Amino acid sequence: MKFGLAAASQKSILQLDPRTKLCLLIAVSLIMVGGKTVGVEFILRILCAALPFVLLLTVRAFKSALIYVILLGISVFCEGCVIPNLSGTPNLVLMILCGILSRFVPGYMMGWYTVRSTSVSEFITAMDKMHVPYFITIPFSVMFRYFPTLGEEYRSIHDAMKMREIGQSVKNPFTYIEYVLVPIMMSTVRIADELSAASLTKGLCAGGRRTHICEIKIKLYDWLLMFGSMAMIALFFVF
Amino acid sequence: MIEFKNVTFTYSSVNADGTPVQQNGISRLDLTIQDGEFIVLTGRSGCGKTTVTRLINGLIPHYYNGTLSGEVLINGRSIPDTPIFETAKIVGSVFQNPRSQFFNVNTTDEIAFAAENQCRMPLEIKEAITKTAASMQIEKLLDRNIFELSGGEKQIIACAGIHVLSPDIIVLDEPSSNLDNEAIEKLKAVLTDWKALGKTIVIAEHRLYFLRDLADRMLILQDGGIIKKLSADEIKSLSIADTEKMGIRPLTLPEIPYSENCSERQSNLLILENFCFTYKDGKHGIHIPKLELPANRIIALIGRNGAGKSTLARNICGLERKCKGTLTLNGKKLKARDRLHHCYMIMQDVNHQLFTESVRDEVMLSMTDNSMTDELKLQRTAEILAQIDLTEYADTHPMALSGGQKQRTAIASGIASSKPILIFDEPTSGLDFVHMKQVAEQLKKLRDMGKTIFVVTHDNEFILACCDHIVRLENGSAVFISQNPAETEDYQKST
Repeated sequence: MKFGLAAASQKSILQLDPRTKLCLLIAVSLIMVGGKTVGVEFILRILCAALPFVLLLTVRAFKSALIYVILLGISVFCEGCVIPNLSGTPNLVLMILCGILSRFVPGYMMGWYTVRSTSVSEFITAMDKMHVPYFITIPFSVMFRYFPTLGEEYRSIHDAMKMREIGQSVKNPFTYIEYVLVPIMMSTVRIADELSAASLTKGLCAGGRRTHICEIKIKLYDWLLMFGSMAMIALFFVF
Repeated sequence: MIEFKNVTFTYSSVNADGTPVQQNGISRLDLTIQDGEFIVLTGRSGCGKTTVTRLINGLIPHYYNGTLSGEVLINGRSIPDTPIFETAKIVGSVFQNPRSQFFNVNTTDEIAFAAENQCRMPLEIKEAITKTAASMQIEKLLDRNIFELSGGEKQIIACAGIHVLSPDIIVLDEPSSNLDNEAIEKLKAVLTDWKALGKTIVIAEHRLYFLRDLADRMLILQDGGIIKKLSADEIKSLSIADTEKMGIRPLTLPEIPYSENCSERQSNLLILENFCFTYKDGKHGIHIPKLELPANRIIALIGRNGAGKSTLARNICGLERKCKGTLTLNGKKLKARDRLHHCYMIMQDVNHQLFTESVRDEVMLSMTDNSMTDELKLQRTAEILAQIDLTEYADTHPMALSGGQKQRTAIASGIASSKPILIFDEPTSGLDFVHMKQVAEQLKKLRDMGKTIFVVTHDNEFILACCDHIVRLENGSAVFISQNPAETEDYQKST
């Protein structure tokens, strides 16, 4: 699995503007977490649940899409058919579990899609167009760039532990966590330090407004989707 | 023109106990670099050459803390008094570690990054990228994920980013330390190009052979001062004996004399059988049906980036469960899982394999034999630490050690684990001549203890200094196995 922002967005069939994605993300999270399961909101919920699935397909994240459908399917099935036949503690536990799943997974998947389909430069450009100040944008973009690095570091440390046969002999989970975290933090600090130095010599934070070679434009379907999500949020608050 | 006038800089940092210490950078440096000059700075680790590059690009005093006196001027303008983003317009920088100098994930975005920061027009930047890509022949690398590139390719992308901006001065801080010979050739081509364009280039390096024809001046630094200045002609006339005396790496790439006949017939063999492994991408991997190697020797694994050296090392170690191959040592057949108990790898970045709070604990952690009493373990630890000169650091936190000491700590835990096979992944990347020699001696000591040693390396100088045998990998298969005749007599005598 890949973490962090996408390397390039060409893979996607449907290229959405990052701002559209943000709108959709807000709508999906709001409605899925807060919506009721009856009336107009029920229809809204179905729409919002289907949205991440379709979007994940457009970036060819078939595995994630499948996992999403399965998770959602199980929780809906349980809510509909299993829970009414249960009572007492099992009922309560299952209800809480399914409730959390069906309410949070769509928002999570929508976030996953947003991250997967947006490149660092698209993100910075979009943020810049929304006049978000650099002191917010830059740390965020560095954070996203950081996930793949963390993955690389973790794999090396895991290998080292395997080789030294530490994993098996350490009984105490806290010791295990310590053994993983200490080297990760050490190398994280070092890499962050070098990265900052390199960015400074490339004139980051030069004061003026940066230019962007990456072109993002709000196209027709972006407008449609944005209005759609606004309408959904409006309906959600009215009903 | 870059001018250093009586410049002294000391780093302020904090040691392991939390008390502030002053670390020497450079002292009383006077240096004038003319426009269009190609300057090579070299010398032992900690000699101050990196400090000089940081003073030019403004990271000192704007990023690294310390006390600075004297004047650093570029075209008459004081760098310490100029904001770093202003300096960035005239000075481009390439750093040692290709992993940590990228802000973006996409290569094209990264090449454009510096230019975007300078507020160049998007169209202009795009045009410049296209031109740069054509002149550097890196069209294939555009619009890719940086995390999928090799170290050499990453370094070329860093150069391309500078080329787009085309600043007058370019400083490079040990750019070759993670590169193989072929990638170094590409780097050399870029440098040649820049020199032809009249750029002023300041490069701090240990490996010097690729700079022989480029350098206008070479400065050897020691303890923060220049101890020797060499002109272009002097550089070209330096022999291996001369550089040896100066404690720097040679200016010619030493050829490894191959001899195909393995005259040494040994009964003690290490046999790799059926080592086949492919990565998920289906392209990279290794395919070695059978390979017989002498045990208790130092064996170099060489080959281009991506030829499968590291993959082979990982498979020998048993880190890839899927590998069905077996390794026979002393008549015992070892599968992947068993190999984990018999092999120990000293990684390129040793920070990944140091886990505890003191060097002693680190060594003791490796003694997994439960039948040993704690007292016996302590005694054995003391012995091992004495063997590799770490006794005085027994109570020090591993992260407070220098790079070389960390590496020795990792070696110490390798010895403590009493595994018969040790594998070194690029042990000499970024090491100066003296430290490289030290590592070579260390490896020989380990061989004398009866270990079989594999070294993944690009460093010809290092191979000549200590390896007994050479296995060359190409596209995942071992194509050439030879003895290193230099090892036997002549070379040893001459050095």
